[in-house]
Amino acid sequence: MATADATIEHAAGPTTPDGVDVTCVGVSKWFRDFWLRPRVRAVEGLDLEIRRGEIFGLLGPNGSGKSTTIKMILGLVSPTAGRIAVLGRRPRDVATKRQIGYLPEESYLYGFLSARETLDFYGRLFRLPAPIRRERIDRLLEMVGLDAVGHRPVREFSKGMQRRVGLAQALINDPQLLILDEPTSGMDPVAARQIRDLIADLGRRGKTVLLCTHQLSDVEDVCDRIAIMFGGRIRTSGRCAELLAEESATTIRTPPLDPAVAGEVRAVLARHGVDPVTVERPRRRLESVFLEVVEQARAAGVTTSGAQAGGAVPDFLRGTDEAVATAPAAQPAQPAGGVDTDLIESLLRKPTDDAGS
Amino acid sequence: MTRGREGLPALTVAAWLGAVIALVAVGLVVWLGPPAARAAATGAAAMAVGYGAGVPALRRILARRSGIASVAGAVVDEAIRLRSTLVLLVLVAACIPLLPLLLDPSERLAYRVQFLVSWSLGTASLFLCVLTACLACGSVCGDIESGRIQMTLAKPLARWEYLVGKWLGLVLYGLLLVGLAGIGCATLVWMLAAGPAADAADRDAVTGQVLVARRRIAPQPADPAAYEAAIAAALAQLEADEADVFRAAPAAARQRIRRDYDRQWHTVTPDMVTTFVFPGLGRRAADVQLQMEPRVTNVDVDLADVRFAVWLNGRPWPPAGDEPREQTLPSRARHVFDLPPELVATADDLEVRIANRNLVPPGETRATAITFAPGDGLMLFVRTGGFTANLLRCLAITWCKLALVAAVGVAAAAAFDFPSAILATLVLYAGAVGNDFFRDALGSYNVVGDTAWGRAADRMWYAAAHLQEGRIYAAVRMLLGFVTDGVLWALPSFSADAAIASLATGVEIPRSVVLSRLVLFGGVYPLLCGALGWFVLNRRDLVRG
Ligand SMILES: Nc1ncnc2c1ncn2[C@@H]1O[C@H](COP(=O)(O)OP(=O)(O)OP(=O)(O)O)[C@@H](O)[C@H]1O
Ligand SMILES: [Mg+2]
Repeated sequence: MATADATIEHAAGPTTPDGVDVTCVGVSKWFRDFWLRPRVRAVEGLDLEIRRGEIFGLLGPNGSGKSTTIKMILGLVSPTAGRIAVLGRRPRDVATKRQIGYLPEESYLYGFLSARETLDFYGRLFRLPAPIRRERIDRLLEMVGLDAVGHRPVREFSKGMQRRVGLAQALINDPQLLILDEPTSGMDPVAARQIRDLIADLGRRGKTVLLCTHQLSDVEDVCDRIAIMFGGRIRTSGRCAELLAEESATTIRTPPLDPAVAGEVRAVLARHGVDPVTVERPRRRLESVFLEVVEQARAAGVTTSGAQAGGAVPDFLRGTDEAVATAPAAQPAQPAGGVDTDLIESLLRKPTDDAGS
Repeated sequence: MTRGREGLPALTVAAWLGAVIALVAVGLVVWLGPPAARAAATGAAAMAVGYGAGVPALRRILARRSGIASVAGAVVDEAIRLRSTLVLLVLVAACIPLLPLLLDPSERLAYRVQFLVSWSLGTASLFLCVLTACLACGSVCGDIESGRIQMTLAKPLARWEYLVGKWLGLVLYGLLLVGLAGIGCATLVWMLAAGPAADAADRDAVTGQVLVARRRIAPQPADPAAYEAAIAAALAQLEADEADVFRAAPAAARQRIRRDYDRQWHTVTPDMVTTFVFPGLGRRAADVQLQMEPRVTNVDVDLADVRFAVWLNGRPWPPAGDEPREQTLPSRARHVFDLPPELVATADDLEVRIANRNLVPPGETRATAITFAPGDGLMLFVRTGGFTANLLRCLAITWCKLALVAAVGVAAAAAFDFPSAILATLVLYAGAVGNDFFRDALGSYNVVGDTAWGRAADRMWYAAAHLQEGRIYAAVRMLLGFVTDGVLWALPSFSADAAIASLATGVEIPRSVVLSRLVLFGGVYPLLCGALGWFVLNRRDLVRG
């Protein structure tokens, strides 16, 4: 594959003098209705910078404008205001697309093509020569575990399998900039883990990855920098390590210590530093940072065109529905007719008891 | 991964299987069946084999690493594998070969062959245009509505390349289908014509008037300039005498006067001789036919015979001494005479002089006039080629129409959702098919002048005149003519060339017509539609819904 790469036009890649692959300055997107009145403000005044070789996590609740931002970066949606540069060019520039791999939030595939034909189709759009195409398709199908079913029409695939085809097509041009919109949605845990490893690998190879996902643990593990969006704006952004640093405490970690020694160490530590003891900032879970940012935004009354905070799970789904629990009691006059009403009642009440315990 | 190139295209296999089964069935029918069933089976088999061979060829042509070719290839794949298109295709394929089974074997062979040609190509053209419209709109709208276009256009593919690719795929697939229709039609015609004819005249008609390509020459008055001058004078007279009538509907007045003069000139009054000049024969001697449909008006049925005598280039024909032999034909019957080369070849133009020799009907004092319907009552045919070449030209024109429909469909789909796009495309198709009808209907009350500028000037002048006299409605109606003019001007015409009718009546489709359709329907219109579609798609946000 290394020799093959040399023949492909994109091997060099356009230079971005400042080492920044994606720049968004003051980008807004308003979706308009039929009469061209602004209906939804999906993104508002977004500033973003993704540097070369960085794995960038874009987070936010449903409808916060992540996918819209990505589509603007890809030139599929034109911004209402603001400026976007991708690999130093306009987002609509056709040549830069050679460097970009994109996995959309849903798998939009031609159902009548087989997995192999799908990848071949996209490979030809990248003008990859046939031998390279064949080689890469084999490798990619192997990687996503579809080599045995590569000839089946994609229409017959399960959601996760289609997702895997989508991932494979995003990688067929060995992109410099990989944009993944919820790559792990619908994938099984093993595949999700594989994708995480893949992203980390790509990062080590100097590729730039824009990752948009709701799997916070993935982000925590692989991302260099993250931004959290709410209501079309970035609420918080920064290096992952910094964002997750807990400011108010210090942890001291040592090899396993005898309790007595530990007591002594504490005493000694009060006066001297001990050599093998490392002192570090304990990390918070990203989840708590995320929740805190969203909560703050909501508390500050920031408007969003996306989803609002979810309510509690409705009772009928949890089996604590009052109507069900009280139904037999409400009809005591019903003739028993040989039916063991006590048993029915106990059965009906059981979920309530479980929920209570 | 040893599993064949690009995976086995399941439906290509199906196509081949279908072809093999069809061949076996045909073998049986050809061996055992009646002639009509034989023709049907052979036609179906020829089409099936053509499909089975054409589809892989098409896919191979498009299997190159270019954006446009990939998109085109995907369209072809989509067309081949979608069930709805297959259903339509089977319908077309069934319509063409089923026809010979429906034809009454007691009809004259020439008529049956003619009907077969016009029906098979007419239905094929209609079905293929509708199929192309559905495919074009379905493919592009499907991409946009499902979100697939987001993935495709995130690749190094410009939006114009996407549209061109879609169009190219449809056009190439259309080429295959038109070719198949041609194969089916040719096979059936060939088998049917090989069957028995009613009599020798029937056989002559098949070979000399149907399965042939002939140039058609219309007659001119002996002195065209004087003729036009007479019409102009009559118009001026009418405008002077009845200014109000003329101004209310100037176009209708002009049309009426011209029609009167044409009818008058195509009439041979009793005891008179009328000269018809057929120009541009260029001393061509062989294979010249005179077709006439003389009629006698206002006469009892039993006397409805037409008696006349003919001179060709001043020499009697057929000669009976110094005079031509008098001929008698039933009124309103069409006759085709093969003209003798030695009389035809004496001049560049052929001069046909016809004398009225009708008898005086009982109770009348004068004999009746002989008239030929202006347009097709009297004309000359010169054989220029065979049926196959003419069929190819007809197919080429049909294909050009598909190219236009495909372009309109793709452009409409780039702008609208599927129901609106398909509606727009079919409306345009219907408009193009009915263009001549609209032209007639709208032209009679709207078109005024002879040239576009003249029309515009006339229209403004008449509108102003109406307005001055306070007839606002009449003025508005005059100005509305600009709209209908514009629509008629922009709307392509699928009926003007009458390609299928020409083919069925053995009339040559001129090369210039084929070329103009190629340029217009295959180039100019697609380019304009494509530019519009591109303009819209370029400004569109590619999101679902
Ligand atoms: N085509 C559209 N027309 C109108 N509004 C739209 C359209 N696409 C997106 N929106 C709106 O824009 C906002 C942002 O949507 P977007 O898809 O970017 O959210 P997201 O952050 O990707 O959400 P999710 O996590 O659910 O994928 C939402 O309020 C959505 O309703
Ligand atoms: Mg999204």
